[in-house]
Amino acid sequence: MTGTVDDLVGLLDTAGLTGRGGAAFSTAVKVRAAHDHGAHLLVNACDGEVGAVKDAHVVAHHLDELVRGAVLVTGGRRQRSVRFAAHRGSDTALALHRAGLDVLDVPDRYVSSEETALISLAGGGLARPMTKRRPFVTGGRDQAGRRVPATVVLNAETVWRVAQVAERGPAWFRSFGTAAEPGPRLVALTGAVDRPGVLDTEAGVPLADLLDAARPAHGWEHAVVGGLGGVLLTADEARGLHWTGADLARFGGSVGPGVVDVLDPARCPLGTVTSFLLYAAGETAGQCGPCMFGVPSVAEAWRRLVETPSRQGVDEVRAAAGLLPGRGACRFPDGVGRFAASALRVLEPHLAAHASGTCPTRRSTHRVPHR
Amino acid sequence: MSPTADARTRPELRVDRIACTGHGICATLLEGRVRLDPQGYPVVDEPRVPRDVGDLAVRMCPARALYWSDRP
Amino acid sequence: MGASLWYLSRATGVASIVLLTAVVVLGALVSGRRRPHGEQATVVMAVHRWLSLGMVVFLVAHVATAVGETYVNIDLVSVVVPFTSGYETVWVGLGTLAVDVLVAVLVTSWWRHRLPERAWRAVHYAAYLLWPAALVHGLVLGTSDEPLLLGVTVLAGAAGTAAVLWRLLARPHHDRARRDVVLGQEWT
Repeated sequence: MTGTVDDLVGLLDTAGLTGRGGAAFSTAVKVRAAHDHGAHLLVNACDGEVGAVKDAHVVAHHLDELVRGAVLVTGGRRQRSVRFAAHRGSDTALALHRAGLDVLDVPDRYVSSEETALISLAGGGLARPMTKRRPFVTGGRDQAGRRVPATVVLNAETVWRVAQVAERGPAWFRSFGTAAEPGPRLVALTGAVDRPGVLDTEAGVPLADLLDAARPAHGWEHAVVGGLGGVLLTADEARGLHWTGADLARFGGSVGPGVVDVLDPARCPLGTVTSFLLYAAGETAGQCGPCMFGVPSVAEAWRRLVETPSRQGVDEVRAAAGLLPGRGACRFPDGVGRFAASALRVLEPHLAAHASGTCPTRRSTHRVPHR
Repeated sequence: MSPTADARTRPELRVDRIACTGHGICATLLEGRVRLDPQGYPVVDEPRVPRDVGDLAVRMCPARALYWSDRP
Repeated sequence: MGASLWYLSRATGVASIVLLTAVVVLGALVSGRRRPHGEQATVVMAVHRWLSLGMVVFLVAHVATAVGETYVNIDLVSVVVPFTSGYETVWVGLGTLAVDVLVAVLVTSWWRHRLPERAWRAVHYAAYLLWPAALVHGLVLGTSDEPLLLGVTVLAGAAGTAAVLWRLLARPHHDRARRDVVLGQEWT
C-alpha cells in the first residue's frame, strides 16, 4: 500500500483504531503527531501487565504484519527509527532478535514497560517513568534535564492493527466490535483455565463466551480483569458482562491491556490479593513519595486486614488505597489503588467469613490459620 | 470571556511527583487547596489556584516541583 | 576619615559573615534527616532568602568602605578579580572569590526557573566553598586586635561548621533513603 501519511491517518481515523496497550488513545491522532514531530517509534511488545501475553502472540504469529505496520507509522523514513521493546530474555525478545530487528531489551520490572520508562531507557537512562509535562511525541527532557528526542510509543497489537487497517480497509476493521469500540481485539485468558491463550475477539462479546473458550476450573469464584492495574470480579459479575469499556467501568475497570485471569478456586483469594499487593510493593520505581511509601502501605494494611479482619482494617486499606490515584508520575499507583479497592468490594463476604473463623475456600469450620 | 471558557483554559498547578521530596511548603502557602498526606507529600484538592499565590509557591518550592499546566 | 572607613569596613565585614553563616546554616537545614516540614519549612525558606538580601546590603557597604578608605590599597579591580590587590593579596583575594561565587549564587537563584536545575544546583552548592573563604578572609584581616570581632567570627565559624557536618553526616531523610534503596535495584 502506498500513500501519504494523510492517507494512513485518514484510514486509521475512519477505522477508529485506538491503543491496545491499555490507554485506548486514538491511534490516528498519535500517528499524525508522530509524523509532525518526526518522532521515533518504540513498539511496546513487553506484555508488562501481570498475566499479559498478547504482545508475545503478535510477535510470534504476525511479525511480518507488525513490521509493516511500524514502517507505515514512520512513513518508511530512516531518520525516524523503529525499535521493538521486549523484556530481556523473554521469548518475545528472542524472536525479535532472531528476526534481525532493532530490539530494546527491557529489565524485568513492572513499571519498566510503561511508555515514558521505555523512552527513558531508549535514551540511555534507567527504565523508570518520567514526568510528562508535555507528550514525549513532541520531545522533551528527562528527569536530569537532558534532551529526549521526539518519540512515540505504540503497543505491538496496535501497530499490527495499523497494518491490517491499511491493507484490509477501515470497513473491514469496523465490521468487528461496536460503534464505540470498533475493531478486532486480542484478549489473553490465563490462570485457572484448561486452555490458556490469546483470543482474537472484539468488543461487545459476552465475557462468558471468552471464559468458556478457555475452560475455567470447576467452581471458580473470582477473576482479575486487567491485572495488577485492573479489578477483581466475582464469577457471576464476570459472566454477566460484555467485553466493553462501559460494562467494565461499572466495576471500576476497563478493557485495558486485555488480560482475564481466573483465580485458582483452591486458593484463598485473600492470599492471592496479598501476593499481588506484595509484588506491587516491590515494584515501585522509587521516584514519587506517594507511590514508594503509599503502595507498600496498602500492601501492609491489606496484610494486617487478612491477619485480623475488622471494620477498621477495611477502612485502613481503603484510606491507603485512596491516597494513590493521580499522585505519581505514572499510573502505576492508580492501578494498585483501583485493584485494592476492587478487592475490598468483592472479598467483603470472604473477609466476614474469616472474621468468624471460617474460610469459604477451604470450606472448613476450623480456625483460619494466620497466613 | 464566559466563566466556563475561562475555567477550561486557565492553567492548573501541578506537582512533578518525581521532583517532590515532601518539604510541604506548598501546603502552607496554598492552605485550603493543598494538604499533606501522612508521609508529608502534597494532596492537591484544588489545582485551580490564583496566579499570584501559585507563582509564589512555584518559586518557593525547594525541589522546584510545582509547575503550571493547561494540559488536561 | 580613612580610619573610620577602615573600622566601618571591618564592622560591616563581620556583620556580613554573621548573616552569611545564618543563610548557609538555614540552607543546610533544608536537607538531611530532621529537615523542617510544612510551616516550619516555609519560614526557614523565607528567612533564608530574605536574610541573603539583607547580607548583600552589609556586603556592599563592606566592599565600598574597603575600597574607599585610604589606609590600605584595595582597588575596584581587586573587588571582582581575585588575588589582584596590593594589600594582603591572598587574604583579600579569598574575599573577592567569595563575592564572585556569591554573585553567581544570587543570580542563578533569581533566575532559577529559567535555568536547568543541574546548573542552579552546582552553583548553589559552591556556597560551601564561598563560606569558608569568607570566614578565613574575615578571620585573618578583620579581627586581629578586636576580641569581640574575633569571638563573633569564631562563633560563626563553629555554627557553620556544625551545619556542614550535620549536612554531611546526618542520616538521610526518609524520602532520600527510600529513593536510594530502590535506585540500587535493577533498572537497565
